[in-house]
Amino acid sequence: MDETQNLNSNHFDAIVVGSGITGGWAAKELTEAGLKVLLLERGRKIEHQVDYETEVKAPWDMPFRGEGDADLYAREYAVQSLNRHFTEFTQGHFVNDAENPYQTGADKQFNWFRSYQLGGRSLTWGRQSYRWSDYDFGANKRDGHGTDWPIRYADLAPWYDKVENFIGVSGAAEGLPQLPDGKFQPPFALNVVEQAVRERIMAQWPERRLTIGRTANLTAEKDGRGLCQSRSICARGCSYGAYFSTQSSTLPAAQATGNLTLITDAAVEHVDYDPATRRVTGVRWIDSKTKARKSATARMIFLNAGAFNSVHLLLNSASEAMPQGLAGSSGVLGTHIMDHANTLSAAAIMPGFEAWTSFGNRPTGVIIPRYRNMEAMDGTGHTRGFSFQGGALQSTWTAGKREAGIGADYKAGLRKPGPWRMVLVAFADCVPRASNRLTLDRAKVDANGIPQLRIDFAFGAEETAALAQAKADAAEMLGKAGGHVFMGFDRPGPGGTAIHEMGGARMGNDPATSVLNKWSQSHDVANLFVTDGAQMASSACQNPSLTYMALTARAAAHAVSLLKSSAL
Amino acid sequence: MSSWSRRSFLGAAALVAVQSAMPGGAAVLGKLDPKEAPSPRRRKLMRAVADHVIPATDTPGAGAVGTGDFVLVALAHGLQGTRRPPKSDPSFAPFLRTDGSLDHAAWLEAKFGPKWLALPTSCRHDALAALDAAAFKGDASAAPWRAIKGLILTGYYTSEIGGSKELNYELVPGRFDPKVPVGPETRAYSSDWTAVDFG
Repeated sequence: MDETQNLNSNHFDAIVVGSGITGGWAAKELTEAGLKVLLLERGRKIEHQVDYETEVKAPWDMPFRGEGDADLYAREYAVQSLNRHFTEFTQGHFVNDAENPYQTGADKQFNWFRSYQLGGRSLTWGRQSYRWSDYDFGANKRDGHGTDWPIRYADLAPWYDKVENFIGVSGAAEGLPQLPDGKFQPPFALNVVEQAVRERIMAQWPERRLTIGRTANLTAEKDGRGLCQSRSICARGCSYGAYFSTQSSTLPAAQATGNLTLITDAAVEHVDYDPATRRVTGVRWIDSKTKARKSATARMIFLNAGAFNSVHLLLNSASEAMPQGLAGSSGVLGTHIMDHANTLSAAAIMPGFEAWTSFGNRPTGVIIPRYRNMEAMDGTGHTRGFSFQGGALQSTWTAGKREAGIGADYKAGLRKPGPWRMVLVAFADCVPRASNRLTLDRAKVDANGIPQLRIDFAFGAEETAALAQAKADAAEMLGKAGGHVFMGFDRPGPGGTAIHEMGGARMGNDPATSVLNKWSQSHDVANLFVTDGAQMASSACQNPSLTYMALTARAAAHAVSLLKSSAL
Repeated sequence: MSSWSRRSFLGAAALVAVQSAMPGGAAVLGKLDPKEAPSPRRRKLMRAVADHVIPATDTPGAGAVGTGDFVLVALAHGLQGTRRPPKSDPSFAPFLRTDGSLDHAAWLEAKFGPKWLALPTSCRHDALAALDAAAFKGDASAAPWRAIKGLILTGYYTSEIGGSKELNYELVPGRFDPKVPVGPETRAYSSDWTAVDFG
């Protein structure tokens, strides 16, 4: 798809690279401000409501009943198939690993989950939408890891408001300083077990608050988008438009302005830089279908390719003037990458609720926000926080795979909803470290001849200690709530497991130690903005996408003001 | 962009159902690598085994809904880890493929011997029950049965009969009710994806 064929010029006010969660926001904000914007997406076009090919299918409609072809997955989706949202229904919304290789350091597995298509990971994301607090923006300054954020919660609060009002976030206000309340639509309800666990935990630990997950699924109609139908098959695509995605929300808004040019199948390989003006001038890309090289120019560029791909693009855009990568004069480009340390802390059987079940598939679980290392430093061996996500669920026929038995009685036993159990999964803050970094592996190139990205990443003592405490805390809480814990872990999954990879072009006050300033704007190149996860200077312990969106909207407003004042 | 209603959504779902009436297993059986193509006898065996695990009651059993063929396809394609090399047991040696994986179907066929299909139903049931009990007590030589049984359950409860007649199926719940009383007639929902994945 190449809409520039109908244009007289390939010069734009702005080019946005990437159409996922933040790219859609950048395109929306910039076009609504009156700018002519080129939005480039490396993957195929997926049209809202038209191209969600598996959305209405049942397992019996699928060749492998929804489980998918394990043989194919082993050969071509070895990493993506580890994603909990990856199924036979959704595999078309994930990259083919064999066709999109990357490298990792020896003994440093990193599961890089990717979605190369219009909408990017906005189609497959978990939709959990949490504000960060000053415990998070102040974390680096407080304990000395990384460099201080140049912003605080007050800088971002109005932008959180704006984003939540547009995307629609359902949730319950709790008045917690560590997880600020937002502009919420009505919350989904806790089920009978979760409600009891909430009350029992609060009775023992008033500062620990189990609350419903804050999710970008609509519980009230908005702007032509329909209500969430409690299907919980979001990653197939949602024709109701009931969860926030580029397709459901930001893209139609941007297109409605008449200022957007969208090109899909356009893998950007280089951002051009003019050392005379110290400005970026445009981008070059490869048409994924024809392999033709194309280019466009613009007054400013927003990189929203996803944290690691934006950094990859900056590294690959090195020039004689910027040998360490575009916007890389500080020497920290590619460094201090993070992902939440993530593991199942506890699973427990929850007796006493056998008389109850639930109906419908709620599209969110619960969260117990951080409660450690706030006013008092009460973490054991770590200085930051962890939070829990999870929920109470009943087992079903799949539990029969773990049980002896055959015949009519066995079949009858699988007919009813099974016992309730509750799981708590920890997300621990990941300390930013220089040794966790992205580089180009020039010995290995992709199909387009571009050096592959190399990911060197390992968790350290801070994360290990946090997960050990999380395991103990989770077991204690579920035990006090009447559960019988039968499983729990304290070792993180491989990097990437939380699908919250971030950093590599961190924001900071000092151009000598950071890539971006407080406006997500390159210190080195004034008309270059990076507003996806690459800009993050710390990880917090709650999901980051809402913060990426708020930072993008804020950066776009600043960029527009600069452009209109001729400062760029 | 138009706003979808529940009615328009279910209309689209009904269209898909009409377009794809073939059970998944049988539909792809013919596409198997010739080396993995099952003999008529093996198909008959797997259908009968599936029926013993999930027999016909007030709803059809696993055999009648094509579970046997689904299991054979699933085994050939390695669903649920069945193409990974098994834990070593001397008795598996005759059934190992060149890639180190176990040919579960051949193993099961040999385990029962040539006469199992001809046995009275009660004897077949007893032999299978004994294998099942051994596998779940940790007998390594019986361990492959657990994977086969798992795929039988998958085949049945993801079939239209198993998923929407034996259990309930609701593609578009339309709401979430957090607290619903359990009664004598309450059935689980095969469309409770969280329970299926994590239960």
